[in-house]
Amino acid sequence: MTAIAARMTSADLLKIRKKLSTLIWALALALLPLVVFYAVNAIEHASNASHEAAGGIDHFHTGLRLLGGLFFGPLVAILVGVEAGTTDQSGGVFRDLVVTGRSRLALFATRVPAALAMCWSVIVTAFAVIVLCTFAFADNLPTPNASMVLEGLGFVLLATGVLCTIAVGFSSLVNSKPGAIIALIAWQLIASPLISSISSLSGARRAVLSQALAHFGPAGVRAMHGAEISMSTGTALAVIAIWLAVFLALGAWRTRTMDA
Amino acid sequence: MSDLAIETRGLTKRFGARTALDGVDLQVPSGCAFGFLGPNGAGKTTMIRTLLGLTHASAGTMQILGYDVPAQRARALERVGAIVEEPRFHPHLSGRENLRIVAAARGAQAAARIEPSLARVGLAERADQKVKSYSMGMRQRLGVARCLIADPLLLILDEPTNGLDPAGIQEFREMIRAMVEQEQRTVFLSSHLLDEVERVCDAAAIVDRGKIVTQGAIAEISGGGKDARSELIVGVDDVDRALRTLQASELVHEARTDGDSLRVVLAGAPDTAAAVNASLVAAGVGVMRLEPVRYSLEQRFLEITARLDDAGAGPTERPAAREGAGV
Repeated sequence: MTAIAARMTSADLLKIRKKLSTLIWALALALLPLVVFYAVNAIEHASNASHEAAGGIDHFHTGLRLLGGLFFGPLVAILVGVEAGTTDQSGGVFRDLVVTGRSRLALFATRVPAALAMCWSVIVTAFAVIVLCTFAFADNLPTPNASMVLEGLGFVLLATGVLCTIAVGFSSLVNSKPGAIIALIAWQLIASPLISSISSLSGARRAVLSQALAHFGPAGVRAMHGAEISMSTGTALAVIAIWLAVFLALGAWRTRTMDA
Repeated sequence: MSDLAIETRGLTKRFGARTALDGVDLQVPSGCAFGFLGPNGAGKTTMIRTLLGLTHASAGTMQILGYDVPAQRARALERVGAIVEEPRFHPHLSGRENLRIVAAARGAQAAARIEPSLARVGLAERADQKVKSYSMGMRQRLGVARCLIADPLLLILDEPTNGLDPAGIQEFREMIRAMVEQEQRTVFLSSHLLDEVERVCDAAAIVDRGKIVTQGAIAEISGGGKDARSELIVGVDDVDRALRTLQASELVHEARTDGDSLRVVLAGAPDTAAAVNASLVAAGVGVMRLEPVRYSLEQRFLEITARLDDAGAGPTERPAAREGAGV
């Protein structure tokens, strides 16, 4: 990354990390469900010893499902990605950046690392909560080893990072913050599980992004979007790459050609 | 550097069937304040947006600071600062942070110019406050500071005094003059306020319905152009005799009464006024007053646009007032 790209990325990160409403929502969505989940289980175990402890491998996987796949991690990724993709346009300052003479493609490209930095900061914080609770509340249950923890971290970073990048591209394309959020949530959290559960679609369901992402999840968290669709690692990588390429290309095209 | 800060030839911008800029040939000399004058909807903002690459031209060529645009757009805009319509910022960031964002997209030296630029516009003390707490005047000044971090040779300001109070307007005008006279920058200022252009600018172009109607030095435009005839108001003790004398004189193109005085259009240069005076005195007319008529830019502008209407520009409806939407 050149010095100017680093400065522009840092500037883009400044814009989104200082947007308090987005930051608070992202932290709340990432942390609150986990805190509630582990707290409720810990209280139940404390009040009734026959109830399983709140930590251990099973609850580690449940935490990963909450964060990386089912709902809250993707929501964080969508919120942050859309904020990064639309903040210049919605603030009316895109034209002032264009007037610097900097290429529009460069202005678009630096949104992605900035969004990922913000998204992953929140996700890593939430992942730390999962790991902490997994071990702190394990009692006599087996706990994940280092490789399982790393695999889990890699999975949540991959799942949220890909979605966040797609959100940057899609929101840059539609240039509407509410429109992009609604469309992405509807696709990711409603349409994707629905399509994945339609067995008559057979192998076509491999094209669903969530299924390709789930391929890289730990064994305990894969069947999280209606059904587990088996595919090779190569297919999963190809599906993810196509989704990324299409939405990044569309976002870049729109940023390059629109009237500022 | 080129002698012309901006040069366009045949610049045309169409929005569907509507032509917002119609073959504009514009020459803006370097080192002056240049007014781009026209009524709302004339094409001023479209011109600026096209020059800056915010929208694409439909036809024609442009040069900024000697560089072809859009081919050499990045080089051309390196030393250009611009405020298009009202200055906009991220409201949740401070003034200083907003400048950091633009400085990041400029060259490596831009960040070092943030503090001097804030000081130059008198915002150093309030630079850490969020922009959403700024008044319109402060935002305008922050907009100028944002321009200055490019150390611009050319500033393009679109209706810069909109929303300012009288003191703010005066302050802004002084700042523009200082930029031209002390810092040798070129300022291209679009405005629908004739008085503002007349006070601030050295030269101007008048645009109407997407076409340049006239351009040149302010004095030249106000005087009616290079070929304009000089006009005098003459106060005399005997109006009838003076009128007969003047109508018979070869020095006079036209003479008519105007209340207790006479309006005299000279046939030659302004210095023939002395000969006219001598001929009146020789005819026994007592001359009490001999005053050249000075036209303001406003009068000339109204004359020009009225001529256009009379000439059958006719019922063409002016585009909507909001220029950002097109014109």
